[in-house]
Amino acid sequence: MSAAAFKLCMLGDFGVGKTSLVSRFVHSTFSEKYLTTVGVKVDSKKVDLPGRAPCKLVLWDIAGRSHLDALNMTYLRGASALLLVADGTRERSLHTALNLLMQARTLLPEVVAVLAINKLDLVEQWEVAPAALEELRRTLSVHETSARSGEGVEAAFADIATRLAA
Amino acid sequence: MQHAESGNGDRLDAPVIRVAAPDAAAPASDLDRLKDILLGDELGALDALDARVEKVEREQSELPARLPGAIESAEQDGAERMAHALAKPVAHALGTAVRENRQVIVDVLFPVIGPAIRKAIAEALRNLVTDVNGAIESSFTPRGLRWRFEAWRSGVPYAQIAIKDTLNYGIDHVFLIERGSGLVLDRESAPHLPDLDSDAIAGMLTAIGEFVRDSVGSGGGTLDSARVGEHLLWVVHGPRANLACFLHGVPPPRLHALLEQRLEALHAGFGADGRSVDDASRESLHPEVLMYEARAADRSAALSASPWPMRIVSLAALALLGWMIVRNERANAWVESVRARLASHHGFVLTGIERQGRDALIARGLFDPDAEPVATALGDDAPRVTLDTVGYVSTDDAIVARRARRLLAAPQSVTIAVDGGALALGGRAVAAWVDTARERAAWVPGVRRVDFSVASESDEAARARDELDTLAGSLPERRVAFVRETELAPDAAAVFEAIVGDALRAQSLAATAGVSITWIATGTNDDPGSDATNARVRAERARWLADALAARGIADVRTAADDDASDVSQRSAFLRFVLAEAQP
Repeated sequence: MSAAAFKLCMLGDFGVGKTSLVSRFVHSTFSEKYLTTVGVKVDSKKVDLPGRAPCKLVLWDIAGRSHLDALNMTYLRGASALLLVADGTRERSLHTALNLLMQARTLLPEVVAVLAINKLDLVEQWEVAPAALEELRRTLSVHETSARSGEGVEAAFADIATRLAA
Repeated sequence: MQHAESGNGDRLDAPVIRVAAPDAAAPASDLDRLKDILLGDELGALDALDARVEKVEREQSELPARLPGAIESAEQDGAERMAHALAKPVAHALGTAVRENRQVIVDVLFPVIGPAIRKAIAEALRNLVTDVNGAIESSFTPRGLRWRFEAWRSGVPYAQIAIKDTLNYGIDHVFLIERGSGLVLDRESAPHLPDLDSDAIAGMLTAIGEFVRDSVGSGGGTLDSARVGEHLLWVVHGPRANLACFLHGVPPPRLHALLEQRLEALHAGFGADGRSVDDASRESLHPEVLMYEARAADRSAALSASPWPMRIVSLAALALLGWMIVRNERANAWVESVRARLASHHGFVLTGIERQGRDALIARGLFDPDAEPVATALGDDAPRVTLDTVGYVSTDDAIVARRARRLLAAPQSVTIAVDGGALALGGRAVAAWVDTARERAAWVPGVRRVDFSVASESDEAARARDELDTLAGSLPERRVAFVRETELAPDAAAVFEAIVGDALRAQSLAATAGVSITWIATGTNDDPGSDATNARVRAERARWLADALAARGIADVRTAADDDASDVSQRSAFLRFVLAEAQP
């Protein structure tokens, strides 16, 4: 029997590293040019969960936007989870991610949401204050990731898979 | 036990001790206090019931305002239960509305029905265009003719045969995709194809479909098909799932209808979660199953199609073919007829004949100027035949004879005959001509041998002979007419005198020419009368003429009563003569 599949949408401002995170996590089938043409690129990744049946994440890497237009909202339809990506070196990208979450919840009120603060390899340049992250952790699952080194990437996706399979 | 009222007027169920309020103006009577003591519990129960009724009435009056919120909260708590609870009443209400307010329902559904009808019509026209294009493109090729023969033999429409043979196709993948999320509900692929990331492909397909729809901007439009080279994508849309079919080649139109039917069946068989697909449905999506059923549907449609249109077309084609064959045979027969007439025409050698247009010919050949014009051989066909001739000298006996008469300038008293190139000259002619002709006869082209036997005569005798020849032709034209039997007509006497004159002149000429004359009087009759009577009358008239001539000095006139019995034009008698060379 095939693994249960869940639609996961990657949301975040332009340049925060969504596509890099996906590339680190999966071997892409489609070219990234679809991000600039269609506005989305879809990949899939089977995730093994300890003590549970594996599940498949279908990753919709939506082109970076500060807000969701009508087309992007259609891309969100049927999503089970959101991976909000922010750039730790740009505090404004965190605000954008949270705004995107607010928009997405109007369409997907029960969606599982996880926040990834990317570019951990540049942690010394981070503008996002640790205190702010601690505050966010009270309402969101927050992961610190580095698409460049791969640190925290698997964990972020595994966290989402675990929550979806629960 | 007694009950009390709350400060806001609501009656409470909790039992309390009822204490009568002191009222100096209306002191409670003993009877009232007794009632309170005896009926206190019942009065409390009545008050509680009043409160309940009042609460129910208030809730009912507030129900319309609270109902939308209640439905929304029920939808969040358990959508399936809510849907299940409302299914029957909504269906019943919809049925009642259709019966009682049909126009309202029609108005509401109009925006939906219109596009659906247009889509169905467009699909049907697309299928028709596909059939027509296939038929036209292959109509007159050898392969198309073979299909026509097969269609005629089997009774299957031509378009079906053409599509069956030409439209080789294959189904590579069939995706059942959840409409909202783009997740794959099922995927069936043809054997031996490399594995692929079906989730990613289904997701991208869904995203591209949304992108196209958003880009086009027309309300309700969908991405139904896409073609890249020989690869084709069909997307059949359903309310909960779409069916995406990846093909190569040119599939038959019935396959699309089959996919639509299959998607409808899948929607009817979705599990309780709206996503699960049972094994039977999964099997029905397999490419080989779909292709087999599409072929079966084609065959079924072919068998059920009326054979009459094809029969009529076949009959028309046969009639046309027959007419063409007959026309061609007639044209060939005409050509052969012209060829035979030209080939038998003396002095013309046919070297080639070819058609020019539908009913005209060009005949090429060699033509001797001494021959009769070719047009005489063609008769009425002459205007339709163009002659392209080159001159030549014929050795045909008839042409050589004509050539000899022309080159030798032979008089009519000279007979000319050619047989196998041998020229025979006979008769008589003046001595000068005889001398010249004897010398030149052998020079005539085509003459291999000369048999010259023309007798020489003096010029006077020759002239007498020529005049005798003329009289021999003109004398029988003079007719002595009779009214009946041997009773002369009014002008008969004058004619008779002319005959006498000619006869005397002939006798004189015969003496000069040295020939003897044999006279013959002949009687004729008209049509009425028996054969015996007519023969008698003819004999009497001939005798009358012979006797009359004898009376004028022209003796020894023979009669020919039975001669020329077929001449029934008039009641007459005439004279003719035969010359014979005088015995030496």
